[in-house]
Amino acid sequence: MVRVFLLLAKLLIRCISSGRDFALKLYRAQRSGDLRKLFHATVLGLAGSILLVASLMVAGANPVSAISQLLTGSVGSASAISGTIREMTPLLILGVSVFLALKAGLFNIGAEGQFLVGSCFAAATMLAVGGPLGVVLGVLVGAISGGLWALPAGYIKAFRNGHEVITTIMLNNIAVNLTKWLVSGPFKGEKAVSATTATLPINSQLTPLIKIGQFELPQAVVVGILLTVGVGYWLTKTTSGYELRAAGANPTAAEFAGVKTKQVTVKAMFLSGSIAGIAGALQIAQFEHRFYDGSSVGYGFDALGVALLAGGNPYGLFASSFLFGALNKGGTSLMGLGIDKGITTMVLAIVIIIFAAIKYRQRGGQND
Amino acid sequence: MIDLIKQCITMSIPLVLIALAGFFSERGGVINIGLEGKTLLACFFAVAFSSRFGPGMGLCLTIVATSLVSLLHWLLTQVYRMDHIISGMAINLLAAGATSFFKFKFAPDGLDDAHSPPKMLLYALGIIAPALLWWLSHKTRFGLQHRSAGSDPDKARLLGINPQGIRFMGLIGTGVLCALAGSLLIAETPQFTDGMTSGRGYIALAALILGGWRPVNAGLACLLFGAASALQIQYNGQYIPSEAWKSLPYLVTLLAIAGFLGRNRTPAGLGKP
Repeated sequence: MVRVFLLLAKLLIRCISSGRDFALKLYRAQRSGDLRKLFHATVLGLAGSILLVASLMVAGANPVSAISQLLTGSVGSASAISGTIREMTPLLILGVSVFLALKAGLFNIGAEGQFLVGSCFAAATMLAVGGPLGVVLGVLVGAISGGLWALPAGYIKAFRNGHEVITTIMLNNIAVNLTKWLVSGPFKGEKAVSATTATLPINSQLTPLIKIGQFELPQAVVVGILLTVGVGYWLTKTTSGYELRAAGANPTAAEFAGVKTKQVTVKAMFLSGSIAGIAGALQIAQFEHRFYDGSSVGYGFDALGVALLAGGNPYGLFASSFLFGALNKGGTSLMGLGIDKGITTMVLAIVIIIFAAIKYRQRGGQND
Repeated sequence: MIDLIKQCITMSIPLVLIALAGFFSERGGVINIGLEGKTLLACFFAVAFSSRFGPGMGLCLTIVATSLVSLLHWLLTQVYRMDHIISGMAINLLAAGATSFFKFKFAPDGLDDAHSPPKMLLYALGIIAPALLWWLSHKTRFGLQHRSAGSDPDKARLLGINPQGIRFMGLIGTGVLCALAGSLLIAETPQFTDGMTSGRGYIALAALILGGWRPVNAGLACLLFGAASALQIQYNGQYIPSEAWKSLPYLVTLLAIAGFLGRNRTPAGLGKP
């Protein structure tokens, strides 16, 4: 009995290791060859598309009608485009936030938490002050609170050598609990039944900047565009922006060139958090008009994808946030066909994988 | 009191399994943000397979399927050399999307008792796993090679070890343990729901870090976190708001990363090719 078991175990290990040998062959094969990037883009793209189409077929949906519904639901009409822009707005601003951190060599997974903290405190400020002044103060408070929420991660990264991804994940979870406690206690609206603040007065709700028929252009997206251009200018045309990029690209070289990399890291994290906080505040003022528990639906995580797809160019953020917004909006309209929204999340994941496998590769190690 | 201990075990054993799954990949040098997604997929597989093939076969198939997903992570980080954090996030996204999309097709109903995964076996495995992993990583050839690949992949190469090959095995280990954790979660709540892991992957990662990437200590950290959530359920915001209880593991981990609780024990080769 024992002998049979051992034999089986040996056989299993043999199987697994021959699988490993095959995989390693694959690994060596891809390490050589000039058309590697193009080849992999094609292979991964094909594999991704096959996976998606197969998923749709297995779930019993018609891929063609699903794709056309996705298009009409996201860019097919004026109201659909407005919906896409609405989805795009927080993603654009959060994308700028993550992009800025990425340029400093930091993965700000914490945009989600900074967004939540920023929007929670901004909502409280807007309610307390009221009117247009309240909105301005609210955005300011959102920026400061978001920045402060990111600060521990920057400090631990710079002076304590702790990875910012782990610390920001921890801060995200603390932010979820903190804001939940705030809106079910101190910030809870007087007549509210669930965990939510009161609704903003009409005069502190931002109106759309342009409204033609069904089409609406919110003010928040304009702020987002200005922020993108501003951050793009700051990063490329000013000394401090250059220092930030230098610290991100090669910290050791930057240190020798006289850049105080530790301070730059902390500053980048604070700025990134502030922008995420602004995104939260504008989301409240323009769209939600109140803060409630669970009001972010993973915008912060999508923002990482938005920033990655922008591929080092700030103006790429417009395209990538529009793509993500369109997929979110179109995904909701797929519900009408009885197709779960999960498929658009899968599309996003596959797009990120393909893009990152080509663009964000590590160097070093064997044969390099 | 008995209730409290029982609650503590139910809360902490899945965490132990996920944290050790993280140990398998992180100690070999692969940063694993994707634990959450892998466990979620394991939950899904557990319902989908167990309802068709029964508990035993279902568990085996869950292990195989989750290991394959874990090997996707190997493919992305080691062959395509994608950034480890991006690949982990992408796997989380893929898992959340795919499980939500296929839920109605493959896992619409809860499992009845006859099809539920073997709960006692899984708990027993979860209890002995830290000791087993300690033995594996300190007393066997594989364990030493595995830790060397995580500590300094370049030196490991000079000694004739292929870090990529070792990590292949390590990530299979991650898949197996995630599968066990997912099956255990399904054994407790037999219905699959979207995002049913509810951040356990991240708490387990926190426990792994708090335990200094050592299996027994990580297990103890999980027990601590499990006890905290058991107390939170037991007293449900009576003395301290329940949100404060829930934040406790994250806060402690934040302090640990900042180096306020002993020295930083991050494997030196973490995330290196």
